[in-house]
Amino acid sequence: MHSIKLIGLLISSLFLTACIEDLNPESKDLRTISELGPIPSQNFTAVTTQNIPVSLEDELLNNDAVVLYFTMWCPLCDSHMSHMRSRLISNYTNVRFFMVDYVSGNISQSRSSQLANGFGDLTLLVDNQQSLLNSYNATMASVIVINAENTILLNEDYKNGSRLIETLDNL
Amino acid sequence: MAMSIFNSNASKSISAAIIALSLLSAPSTFAASCCGGGNASSLVLPRFGKKMLDISFDIEDYKGFWNQDGDYIKDPKGADLNQYRLNLGYAQRLSNNWQASIILPYVWNDNQYSGISSQEHGFGDTNLSVWYEAFERVTCVYQVNTIADLKPSMYFGGSLTLPTGSSAYGDSASNSFEITGRGMYRFDANMIIEKTIYPYTIMIQGSYGKYLARSVNQEYGKAIEPYTKRLGDRKFISASASYTFFLEDLDTLTLTTAISDLHEDAGKIDHDIDPQSAMKKQSAALTSSYATADLRYIYKATWSHAFQDDDRGKNFTVTDIFTLGLSYAFN
Repeated sequence: MHSIKLIGLLISSLFLTACIEDLNPESKDLRTISELGPIPSQNFTAVTTQNIPVSLEDELLNNDAVVLYFTMWCPLCDSHMSHMRSRLISNYTNVRFFMVDYVSGNISQSRSSQLANGFGDLTLLVDNQQSLLNSYNATMASVIVINAENTILLNEDYKNGSRLIETLDNL
Repeated sequence: MAMSIFNSNASKSISAAIIALSLLSAPSTFAASCCGGGNASSLVLPRFGKKMLDISFDIEDYKGFWNQDGDYIKDPKGADLNQYRLNLGYAQRLSNNWQASIILPYVWNDNQYSGISSQEHGFGDTNLSVWYEAFERVTCVYQVNTIADLKPSMYFGGSLTLPTGSSAYGDSASNSFEITGRGMYRFDANMIIEKTIYPYTIMIQGSYGKYLARSVNQEYGKAIEPYTKRLGDRKFISASASYTFFLEDLDTLTLTTAISDLHEDAGKIDHDIDPQSAMKKQSAALTSSYATADLRYIYKATWSHAFQDDDRGKNFTVTDIFTLGLSYAFN
């Protein structure tokens, strides 16, 4: 009986210290009015692994939207980028897709990872100071959509890509 | 790149985290009915045992990953991704044929890329298990004299994984490096069939797991449009063979080799299939365990190795896991 109490105590303390939202997930929409409203994007400049400078403002002048996908060369990132390449990029010719490498320290390392992972045909931005990562409060597998009005339309995990497709379809 | 597991599901550092964690699937171990055993996700009392404490420490070293096509891709140059886990376990006999156990991991993620580094830690997902022993007497024999001597020990059990770790779906992790759990409840049906004819033991262990669907209204603490997520069914099978050396004072040293296969089906997001979440992993393990003659203390060391070849996995991290553990059985 003593042992059972001990286990109970252990589980109770665990619940108190563990992350409650995972134990009791909610479906309530927690977004505030300001988060639901139009959120402007800051302009950014970055370089690609081909050492070509890119600016958001310039890209939005010539495209309906810019998509950023944050990769750390993980299996999930790999599958998401493959999905984008095979299912999305060619279908949205008026949208500019950029993959963002925030873990490699320099352009040559980033280019090396890009080629080793078989994504030499995609445009990869080198975010070696994590400025884009921090600016968009992004993390692994985050996907960001910014429309021509410089508004962030989507900023969340890529998941199965359906929300990205829905967002691009509604441009 | 680094859990799992994610499992979660997985990224590397996450991978480091995720998966590892949740897919704790390193096959171990040693003859359960005689000495007690199990692996990182299960803890089994010996037949005569009343209680057992188990403590183990895992060092998981990330080597690369298998992509969706099953191609093995090495981690980027300059990356050193590791996850460390301290697993605290306790098993309690409930009756002659029933026992229960709990395993609580504490996780450290240590990720070093050429351009970023991160060290995070927190609780992992907790595992609660119940086992039914479908045999009355220890089935380990030294010699086969009758057909009855060939009878194996069979264990049937159920386990529940509680999402006590930090997952992507709450506000306890603000980025993937902080992930220590998969954020999903999972029920597993488990089975162990094991036979010892000293000095040899063979064991087959299998499980079938189902995740519960859950609502998600945040990702890394960021409120998002709510959706429902469910990971795919999980199938795990492991086969092992052991050889036991009898030492002075009847202490034993058992060497075990095991292979395992883990599959997780594609999950669902709302009503849509999430094909990127399907995964597969094949690995092998070597374990040595030293048991005192009274079977009170069991010291164990395991090296679990994922094959660094194409088509040995899919959408999953490739890691080596080194485990050191100690079990203490008492009444």
